[in-house]
Amino acid sequence: MKLKTNLLGKTYAFRDVKDVLAKANELKSGDQLAGIAAETAQERIAAKVVLANMLVSDVRNNPVVPYEQDEVTRIIQDDVNERIYEEIKNWTMAELREYILDNSRTAAEIRRLSRGLTSEVVAGVCKLMSNLDLMLGAKTAVVTAHCNTTIGAPGTFATRLQPNHPTDDPDGILASVMEGFAYGSGDAVLGLNPVDDSLGSVQRILQMFDDFRNKWEIPTQTCVLAHVTTQMEAVQKGSPADLIFQSIAGSELGNEAFGLTAQMLQDAKDLMATKGTCTGPNVMYFETGQGSELSSDAHHGADQVTMEARCYGFAKRYEPFLVNTVVGFIGPEYLYDSKQVTRAGLEDHFMGKLTGISMGCDACYTNHIKADQNDIENLATLLVAAGCNYVMGIPHGDDIMLMYQCTGYHEAESLRQLFGKTAIPEFDEWMKKMGLITEDRKLTKRFGDASIFLK
Amino acid sequence: MSRGLGKDVLLSVGIDIGTSTTQVIFSHLTIQDMSSGFSVPRFEIVDKQIVYKSGIHTTPLLSPTRIDMAAVRGIVAGEYAKAGVDRTTIGTGAVVITGETARKENANEVVHYLSDFAGDFVVAAAGPELESLIAGRGAGADTYAKEHSTTVANYDVGGGTSNLAMFDRGRLVAATCLDIGGRLIRVDGGQITYVAPKIQELADSEGIRVRAGDRADIPTLKRVCQAMTRMLEMSLGLTPKSAFFPRIRTEQDKDIVLPGVPAFISFSGGVADHIYGSPDDSDPFRYGDIGVLLGQAIRESAALKLITRITPNETIRATVVGAGTHIAEISGSTIEYDESLLPLKNVPILKLNPADEASPTAMRQAIREKLEWFRLDGELQLVAIAFQGPRSPSFKQVGQLAQSIMEGAAELLAEGFPLVVISENDLAKVLGQAIRAALPGQRGFVCIDAVGVDSGDYVDIGTPTAKGRVLPVVVKTLLFR
Amino acid sequence: MYQENDVRDMVRAALSELLAAQGGSAPVAAPVSAGATLAATTVEEGFCPDVTAVSTKDEFHVPDPENREGYLAMKQSTVGRIGVWRAGPRYNTWSMLHFRADHATAQDAVFGEVPEEFPAQQGFIAGQTLCTSKDEFLTRPDLGRKLNDETKRLFAEKLPKGAKVTIMVADGLSSAAMVNIPDIVPAIKQGLKGFGIDVGPIPYVKYGRVGAMDDLGPLVGSDVVCLLIGERPGLATGESMSAYMAYQPSADRPESWRTVVSNIYSGGTPPAEAGAHVATIIKKILDAKVSGVDLSL
Repeated sequence: MKLKTNLLGKTYAFRDVKDVLAKANELKSGDQLAGIAAETAQERIAAKVVLANMLVSDVRNNPVVPYEQDEVTRIIQDDVNERIYEEIKNWTMAELREYILDNSRTAAEIRRLSRGLTSEVVAGVCKLMSNLDLMLGAKTAVVTAHCNTTIGAPGTFATRLQPNHPTDDPDGILASVMEGFAYGSGDAVLGLNPVDDSLGSVQRILQMFDDFRNKWEIPTQTCVLAHVTTQMEAVQKGSPADLIFQSIAGSELGNEAFGLTAQMLQDAKDLMATKGTCTGPNVMYFETGQGSELSSDAHHGADQVTMEARCYGFAKRYEPFLVNTVVGFIGPEYLYDSKQVTRAGLEDHFMGKLTGISMGCDACYTNHIKADQNDIENLATLLVAAGCNYVMGIPHGDDIMLMYQCTGYHEAESLRQLFGKTAIPEFDEWMKKMGLITEDRKLTKRFGDASIFLK
Repeated sequence: MSRGLGKDVLLSVGIDIGTSTTQVIFSHLTIQDMSSGFSVPRFEIVDKQIVYKSGIHTTPLLSPTRIDMAAVRGIVAGEYAKAGVDRTTIGTGAVVITGETARKENANEVVHYLSDFAGDFVVAAAGPELESLIAGRGAGADTYAKEHSTTVANYDVGGGTSNLAMFDRGRLVAATCLDIGGRLIRVDGGQITYVAPKIQELADSEGIRVRAGDRADIPTLKRVCQAMTRMLEMSLGLTPKSAFFPRIRTEQDKDIVLPGVPAFISFSGGVADHIYGSPDDSDPFRYGDIGVLLGQAIRESAALKLITRITPNETIRATVVGAGTHIAEISGSTIEYDESLLPLKNVPILKLNPADEASPTAMRQAIREKLEWFRLDGELQLVAIAFQGPRSPSFKQVGQLAQSIMEGAAELLAEGFPLVVISENDLAKVLGQAIRAALPGQRGFVCIDAVGVDSGDYVDIGTPTAKGRVLPVVVKTLLFR
Repeated sequence: MYQENDVRDMVRAALSELLAAQGGSAPVAAPVSAGATLAATTVEEGFCPDVTAVSTKDEFHVPDPENREGYLAMKQSTVGRIGVWRAGPRYNTWSMLHFRADHATAQDAVFGEVPEEFPAQQGFIAGQTLCTSKDEFLTRPDLGRKLNDETKRLFAEKLPKGAKVTIMVADGLSSAAMVNIPDIVPAIKQGLKGFGIDVGPIPYVKYGRVGAMDDLGPLVGSDVVCLLIGERPGLATGESMSAYMAYQPSADRPESWRTVVSNIYSGGTPPAEAGAHVATIIKKILDAKVSGVDLSL
């Protein structure tokens, strides 16, 4: 392994693999805040050169958080299929990149490759990819998952219906639910971020979602995004849940900040196998986001792309139905502007798919970042082009509880039309049965009229 | 995240003294801070659970015109004991006296006596339209209308009256009361023992002979019940109103016009079980009255079948459940008050209109003038000064408001009355602090918000709950003025 | 907001104007000629409708809903933008412009500066954190938590030592939130006066984050510091302000040591009412000698 290179008459030397990974990152304000970013544009390219020359084994053998210290590292390393790894360990990172982008590559080959990669390797190859590389690579890496329906099949594109309300008012939540389904949103999941994440509140909303879904026979999944332990308690008490949600981080320390251990996720998954209302086998839902480890001082001096990749490696063990990065939520100190948000969204989707998980994206922005709705529509469009499994759907893109903006209910069908895709097949049939769209997928006058559910 | 200041549970009692039956229920009203915990608290009643339902007692009478107060008291005391409820733990609730019983000579006396006996803050409420609303809510018609985005009428058919309340998506849009009930003709040993005068008139107008002392002939009584049922049909706008119809309205001067035929109808009250089909209709006089026959007549009415029938949450208990769980409100959560003044009962409302609120001078003047309305035999009485208030007042406006109220109410204050101020908009705490800063001496006051009242209303304000954040409030409104 | 009838009337008006201009006949395809003839434009008096004049609860565009009354009632249960209808699968023009106007409000609140003269007008003593520009403030939260040296000297000189309560003001993430100051500050003072507590001069900190109160605390030695600061705006809630309160704040205290009241603005908790509430919380903190999660409210 070499840690030095000459570039344009200057010599660049890096401390270790972690340093190379950090400096090879595209510019991110979070890496600057952490004091680990490349000092100059040239140094960034030098790091990429050094990274491209490293072997897969160099990157695997130098996890950014030591194996002994961190259960996330242990899970990622222990889950590697050593037979597959043996086949690729002597590839350079450049060769790995070109293998993925090869025109003859099939989805099955990428799925097999996934099992031989650690998250550092996934992050490393990501840093050698341009935005379009990330899109093409991800498109090949098809990942499907099944809960009540199958998500991720080529030709389909789904959304999460996110009916958040600032006081969890049941009528207000239901109003948004009706609006969302009237726009053909919600085939990935009907999922609420509750203000009140107490047990009683979670149980009430789960029941309300289940009742609505059953009344209208909607083929989808339901979830209330409280802490994993609260959801488990609700399920144990008989509440109907299809998915259990949790925010996760790329280090044990980061998970501690969420009050989370790996064992909890295993317990949740086991519980859902016996008590969940869903068909399965994929019963978990995770959210992540670049910068979250740094914000809880749990990044161990590593860059935010690598830490993000580790979230996916961790998530993979629990065979999730959904994983999405919440890409613009964290603020300009981590992702400065729409350019950085766009890059991060494409990186995260690519890394998730290369890891082998059913990846979606909350393409969003807060009001203190230099981005607007156009930027987020751009990102959503790029993501669907790259085969992204799902994005969010909220009323007019305005989340009145989390106080940020993301993709709206309208985007679901707009993007399906743009790319000639359908919703998840059972859901698409339901849309036809409800008279929202015609047999040839034209919008009817009922499409967008939530009052059809007022019965 | 969790809710800010958590929860509190208010024990509420409902007592209904009806024409035929007397009932008591206890319920838990859960009051919860619905704010995120990072903003100003906002308590709401989030859950209502009935924790005890009494047996159904026959309303004890001393004579056809007098209620047996001691016996009613005995029933209520007995139920408190059975439920293990100490009257000092009652946080809110209502005593209602309904149907024919409300017209007994000592009805007022009984209801006020009971409201004191039942707990420190239990209000007495009555009035035919309010009864309709209470029964409709107790039956769950408002909730059904809201959840299904539709219109629902609830008819509470009791012993002495039938109370109609119509809800459009949860909101009351019409209410009335007819003198139709199962106990208006009584039967004993195969003989009619009593016919209420109005029913007699109704039967006469239809050419049906029915008199006390006659043999209880089932076909004849069925025809009377059909005539009574036609009155219900007319009130719902299903058939044209007859010339006799106005006579059967409890409040004869108030016509009833529904905004449309309701999409759904539910029946509550003692007769309801026989409308939905009781397992035991074999003896039509099992209650010693025509309740069973009236139920059957309503069930079989072709006109009433035009409206889709739904099952209520409560039948015979609808009114008592409504009284116990659906009357109490709570004030806003940022308020100022002196606890020593509470509870306050039956405080009349002095309501300022928008013109009165237009300027500090107008406000001061309006309070002065309107205070005179409440002078009885030359004596002022305690009133609550109520107004809408600005939506987000500047600090300066609040100061002016406090000044106007104190100057306007100077006479009231001079006579030693406490100041009671009620605003609709959220400003009671800052207004209360401004009043406290300016009020002479240690004079007490109560300043609350988030309560809508009108001229002619009376308000009861209970003792603090939820760690003193909110006050239970009952507004006794005359509906549809 | 446009209703369907308004749109119809506008279309009709435009058509009849067109017809009049063409001598009353229906529009016909003009023969292709060299160079189009452009009609002269008349600039009219009056205003285009304000797209923000109707609240999101009342904005409704669905032309022919199955249950209009029900839909309108449903809208009252949420400020979420529902009943907005569509153009094909895309947004209705008016709801889209309303949304963009609301985002513009939020962005102007974040990226705009508080007028230089504001602190002096309010009688505040003006200082600054280590941040030297808005951009640095947004990307370096660590610097926004520290007062610069000159400010520290100034505050040490001008502010009383060991006051019971110090009110502090900072721009934070919303310059527009300063609009609440003239109503909330006197309300807090009035409430505290009711408890027999007077408040001295008020320090103002430019480019301040919440943590700046921990830097001020040891400098003034007050029992309670109450920081009034602009919140990160939501859509159309650019003026929202928070009050953070802590007992003897310092950099050693955890974040959970702070008690917060947020959502203070004319559309949330009115600033005067919030000030009265804040005063009672300050009193509770003084009595309990703790703040944040340890304070039982």
